[in-house]
Amino acid sequence: MPDAQSPLTPAMFNVMLALADGDKHGYAVLKEVAEQTAGEVQLSTGTLYGIIKRLLAEGLIVEVRRHPAIENDDQRRRYYHLTDSGRAVALAEAERLERQVERARSKQLIRALKPV
Amino acid sequence: MPKPRQPFADWLYGALLRILPFEFRLEFGSDMEETFRLQRVETGRDYGFRALLRMWSATIADIIRMAPREHASVLRADVTYALRMMRKNPGYTAGAVMILALGIGVNTSIFSAVNAVLLQPLPYVEGDDLVVLRQRGSAPGNILFSVQEINDYRRLTRSLSGLVEHHSMAFTLFGGKEPHRVRAGVVSAGFFDLFGVKPLMGRTFVPDDDRPGAAPVLVLSYEYWKQVEGGDPKIVGKVFQMNDKPHVVIGVLPLIPQYPSENDVYMPTSACPFRSKPENIADRDFRMMSLFGRLKPGVSTNDARSDVARIAQMMAGAHPKSYAAGFQATASALRSDLTTRARPMLLALLGAAGFVLLIACANVANLTLARMARREQELVVRRAVGAGSGRLLRQLVTESMVLALVAAGIGVVLAMGSIRLLAQFTSQLTPRAREISIDGWVLAFAIVCATATTIVSGSVAALYSRTDVKLGWNDGRPGAERSGRFVRGALIASQVAFSYVLLIGAGLMVRSFLQLNRVDVGFVPERVLAVSFQRNWLKYQSPESRHAFADQLLEKVRHMPGVSSAAVASSYPLDPENSAIAQSMDHQTHFLEEGDTRPESERPAVRAVRVASPDYFRTLGIPVISGRGFLDSDRAGAPPVVLINQSLAHEAWRDADPLDRHISFDGGRSWSRIVGVVGDTREFGLVPEVPFQAYLAEAQFPQTASVLVRAARDSERLAGLVRRAILEVDPETAITQAETLEQARMDSVASPRTTTRMFSLFAVLALLIALAGIGSMLALWVRQRTREIGIRMAMGARPRHILARVIRQGMWLVGIGLSAGYAGAVGLTGFIQTFLFQVDPTDGATYAIVSALLSGAALVACFVPARRAARIDPQAALRCE
Repeated sequence: MPDAQSPLTPAMFNVMLALADGDKHGYAVLKEVAEQTAGEVQLSTGTLYGIIKRLLAEGLIVEVRRHPAIENDDQRRRYYHLTDSGRAVALAEAERLERQVERARSKQLIRALKPV
Repeated sequence: MPKPRQPFADWLYGALLRILPFEFRLEFGSDMEETFRLQRVETGRDYGFRALLRMWSATIADIIRMAPREHASVLRADVTYALRMMRKNPGYTAGAVMILALGIGVNTSIFSAVNAVLLQPLPYVEGDDLVVLRQRGSAPGNILFSVQEINDYRRLTRSLSGLVEHHSMAFTLFGGKEPHRVRAGVVSAGFFDLFGVKPLMGRTFVPDDDRPGAAPVLVLSYEYWKQVEGGDPKIVGKVFQMNDKPHVVIGVLPLIPQYPSENDVYMPTSACPFRSKPENIADRDFRMMSLFGRLKPGVSTNDARSDVARIAQMMAGAHPKSYAAGFQATASALRSDLTTRARPMLLALLGAAGFVLLIACANVANLTLARMARREQELVVRRAVGAGSGRLLRQLVTESMVLALVAAGIGVVLAMGSIRLLAQFTSQLTPRAREISIDGWVLAFAIVCATATTIVSGSVAALYSRTDVKLGWNDGRPGAERSGRFVRGALIASQVAFSYVLLIGAGLMVRSFLQLNRVDVGFVPERVLAVSFQRNWLKYQSPESRHAFADQLLEKVRHMPGVSSAAVASSYPLDPENSAIAQSMDHQTHFLEEGDTRPESERPAVRAVRVASPDYFRTLGIPVISGRGFLDSDRAGAPPVVLINQSLAHEAWRDADPLDRHISFDGGRSWSRIVGVVGDTREFGLVPEVPFQAYLAEAQFPQTASVLVRAARDSERLAGLVRRAILEVDPETAITQAETLEQARMDSVASPRTTTRMFSLFAVLALLIALAGIGSMLALWVRQRTREIGIRMAMGARPRHILARVIRQGMWLVGIGLSAGYAGAVGLTGFIQTFLFQVDPTDGATYAIVSALLSGAALVACFVPARRAARIDPQAALRCE
């Protein structure tokens, strides 16, 4: 697990979010991040694989041999899976962000938003 | 099915990925290419050309941005790996670090001297524009300058500005706790301005200080101010008495190297009693000054040279009586003038040091190889999975870099330790030696050495590893291995040869040093104390007063407890004060013989005319060979007598008897009768030639500056008593030195001792490195043949056969190295001939001893891996293959 000194970057968190609902290969991650953020976060291949390398090294994701049954799947593609600890870290990050938004709301910084 | 052709865009992306580290590409490369392909196709299809362009630029920028980070992370991993390997192989690590540390240390150390002496600018403002002027006649040696000449140069020069003069004299300074003999630099007003020296306190000299009759002033050197005046902050304005005149301190110099000579105090020319005498100023032949100048802007040293030569010709034409034929003058850059003698020696040393580093690199590469035999499997696998030679090189280079940096750290510490010895050695060649230090440049040089080492030893190892790895894969024995072995063999033989040459050099120096110490100095230095003094010369203008001083002093000293005999003299053998002056060969006196009309030049030149009291010869243990020594009856008013040494007697009169002949040292104004011949003494140092000498009786020529005491037991304990006795006779006397003659003898060989130490250190270093090289080469050889040795042993070969075979393998190369080294040594030792004393550069004993020593050491170096080979367990050896 990453320690307190190496917090998740927004890009890392986005990659983990993309994997939260199922194993994906690199391009699928890339595409989902772009879609989920409405094109706000556009990862390049270099950044993506830099993040994948780090998440792999920290045990937050693993590569899976069993490919999901997808039409036209290229067997050479590598699929990544969010591990339990990865999931826990992503959850912790989401909660942290939520608390921050809460605080911003209590300070009436984001009045315009509807309460959840 | 033919492979579909890759689109150019994908090929370009693949090429771009090559700037990422190999490991990263191995892990993610093909996945990235696939991802990029999909991204490219979809972006082009869905969003159009502009989006595609944006994607390309983002991708390129991204990869360029991440490449350094990824490389750094690989480097970190490599360094960690290298450190782990170093910890795992402490023997290898210690060996390699030691060899490299010695190599880098010796280079750093020599470079510190080269840097300070040859590379750094002079520590003066625009020091490269400073020139020194020299005058020469037909005889060898330089002629100093007279005031008249200095005025001519100042008036007539077109190329130089601010010509300043300098000479140095010893005076006695009163005003402190006890009288102090000081070295006074006598300089003209612009001297410090020319060198760009600003005072630490007060001021330096201005033209008014230099006018005749100006109030005498002094500037103190930093060292004198600190050591003698205790760094007194109120020193400016303090009054000292010197030459019977009050001298006011006007300033203190900063801590700077003092050129051309080191002085305690400085005074303007008007304050020097000799330089300021009107008759001396008017006398064109009264030459005692050195002359310095600064090149005018845009003027070269060559221009200055011809300018000065032109002035010299003009002077010679205008004053033919003062200048003999062949008189000339020249100017040379102060910087090169100060380092002319040191340059070839330092560059030769740096070259040799570079060579030492090169063989150190080669040996470390060898050591690395021997160790890498174990890692062969790892390298084979890495190549098989596609690690290019570049990647392997990087891993190996990182490992060597870590080793080299550790070694460089130790090397710098070694260099710091050797700085004193090096500075001592270099000070024989240049006054800039005192500037030698470990500064930023030297540290940078150590790092450059480490980097060079890394590149050489790392890539040599990688080159070999490529061959070896290929071998491992093909299981073949191509010619590459034979050529590798040849290179390694040649390497070992050449470093044996190199260390042999150095060892011969060191051996000759050691022998020469032993010879020096065996030299009969012609007197018995044991238990003799010499105390030198300087009286206030203004009080002792008359011969009677000087003789009275000597008489009183002798009377006191003779009656001291523990004194067996005592004498006074103008100087004594191996007096350091004398040696420096007399070694320059300028110091010669010619004599006339009554009834002999031959010109002076046809008679031997006397190097030392010493004034001595009757007991001088008894006190020093110099034998009187014929005639008699001085007697109490040889007093003032009695017929003058003279003694000569044996060599002079033989040179001047061959087999004839010199006794009762009359000779004159003052051009015939006074004649002295030769009453005795005394033994030769080495006056000016332990050199082969014995100087021709004459002695005058103190009572007849009272000029004394030393008292010599032979003690019944310990002479050193008498020093305090003798010092007190001198001050009792006249408290205004400065004690300039007190030493035993044994000490003087020791000091006289200080310079050859330093040179010998330097050479020996170098040679031992080269030897150590060469031995490590032989050992590691054989270790590698044994490791590569473990299987072969195993088979041989399984077939009945005895361990001693194996032992002999390995040793033979090593000693064969040592033999070749020794033969080459012998040829090299015979050719090269002529270079050090000037340093040798009564030793032939081809001295058989030295060659025999060094050969035996080197062979013996090499045998030991061979024995270690050979024993390991002999202990190989045949079964284990076969299994491991």
